[in-house]
Amino acid sequence: MTVTVRTENLWKTYGGGGPHQVDAVRDVTIEIERGEITAIGGPSGSGKTTLLSLVGLLTRPTKGKVLYGDQDFSGLSEVFRTRARRQRIGFIFQAQYLIPQLTAVENVALPMLCLDVPRSEAEKLAAIRLSSLGMNHRLDFRVAELSGGEQQRVSIARSLMNAPEILIADEPNASIDEKSAEELHFVLREMVERNKLTVLLASHDAQVLNWADRRLNMRDGKIVD
Amino acid sequence: MDVEASLGEGPDLIVQKLIGGRQVLVPLDWVNNVSETSGIRLVTPRVWGYSDAGDGRLLTIMGVNATEYGTIFGAVGTDVLAGGRFIMENDTRRMVVGQGIVEMMAASGAAVTISVGSVLSLITYNGSLIEFVIVGVFSADSKIQSYDLIMTDISSARMVLGVDNSSCTDVAVWINYGSDLNGVAFQLDSSLSQARILTRDAMKNTMLRTYGGRAGVAALLWACVLVTVLLLVFTASSAGSEEARREVGLLKALGFDTVDILEIRTVESVTLGALGANFGISLAIVFDFILGAPLLAGYLLGWNLVLLNGGIPLAVSSATILTVLAAAIVPVMVATVVPSWRNAITEPDTVLRGV
Repeated sequence: MTVTVRTENLWKTYGGGGPHQVDAVRDVTIEIERGEITAIGGPSGSGKTTLLSLVGLLTRPTKGKVLYGDQDFSGLSEVFRTRARRQRIGFIFQAQYLIPQLTAVENVALPMLCLDVPRSEAEKLAAIRLSSLGMNHRLDFRVAELSGGEQQRVSIARSLMNAPEILIADEPNASIDEKSAEELHFVLREMVERNKLTVLLASHDAQVLNWADRRLNMRDGKIVD
Repeated sequence: MDVEASLGEGPDLIVQKLIGGRQVLVPLDWVNNVSETSGIRLVTPRVWGYSDAGDGRLLTIMGVNATEYGTIFGAVGTDVLAGGRFIMENDTRRMVVGQGIVEMMAASGAAVTISVGSVLSLITYNGSLIEFVIVGVFSADSKIQSYDLIMTDISSARMVLGVDNSSCTDVAVWINYGSDLNGVAFQLDSSLSQARILTRDAMKNTMLRTYGGRAGVAALLWACVLVTVLLLVFTASSAGSEEARREVGLLKALGFDTVDILEIRTVESVTLGALGANFGISLAIVFDFILGAPLLAGYLLGWNLVLLNGGIPLAVSSATILTVLAAAIVPVMVATVVPSWRNAITEPDTVLRGV
């Protein structure tokens, strides 16, 4: 199997040097295989979300490396890290973070705009992506007019717009019902099978963890098995 | 600004006669005495006073020598008239009226629309009516002085105001270009023992005393409104706004550069500020010109409200418009773009989590 992302002796420390210092991630070395769903389990506060942020280049490690292929992104400037997020990574956030003033299509089109795709073209592609998720009747609805499951589908559609190498999903079933969660599983599995998408997700929900091809557990910032 | 515009075409000096501290009519032979003073370009008598408009409001009637006053207006070259012409040498019972007369008659529902060519009757000092033909309308730039003004030939003004042929109300004086205004005023004061000499500066100071202090209060109110707007905008869009902060974090996470985010925020704030400014200007126009600036007009205009009608006089220039736009856009930009920039240069994880 091909490795998409690798971390080497990764540490993330908050409140460095002070009395409230916390090692959120401690000496984590993992490999995320291409075309697999890798799930990280563990209780709340075990460092799952921080590890996802490190792999997703949303924050810098205190020590260690994050390698995409052979390239270590941990020491690169924010400009290069931003470019990497734009071109290689898709995100499904726990809180979804949809922009309420925008419609479903406009939210989904956002990642294309920073790739310099013209707005009309981006919205056309976004509509196709949403329709493939059964959202063709909600394209011009604002976020507040969508159900929790529909919002999650918008979030999934947005995460796939830049054709990412890796999709990072933090508690992807947090704000949806069981049926919507199953739909999400179906969509992710299809993307993995068809496009060889790599998925790294974190959850403390056994149902979601069962979706994974490979499962890692974290406790107190460390991978325990 | 309106004060400057109002004085732009006025005389350099006005000579009045005082007896026992009261202003009285000036004998016409003073005109010759004043003319003999060195450094003087033009001397002309004026007859002015007030006529009841019929509903308690007073109109200012000013009778001038058409030739002499016309020469001065032509030399100044300002846009004194919005329409029609100035009175001419042989005109009798012709008048040039201020915008206020036009608006007052329109508001009263009079059958006759006041414009160039209309006939308007004035109530004389003894209660009879005299008909006048309107030949011109003053522009709005000198509204403080001309709004309620009816300018006519000196003979017709005498008939309306009851001033005899050997007297005038005051004498208007223009000095030669380059002459010392205060020097000429001092000579006149010395030669005419009962004269009160008002220089252009003195008239300006009087007007500024009338309007200037109040303008200061208006400026203070402006400043308060501006600070309030600034605080509101800052609260709504700063790092304190969860939604705005998360939006920047999300855009960064999706791959937008800091420059892209600042561009988005700048366009947003300029659009918002410009819309706000235009909305504010529209409201101000409605408040001033349609509603007559209730509460504010009474304070800012003071006694002039008796004569003026229809809100606070306004002289609008491109500089004023730019100032208003800047006052609306800059605070919104600062309050929006600066917090966005701070969030955009912070790690997306920190911004999204709000830690």
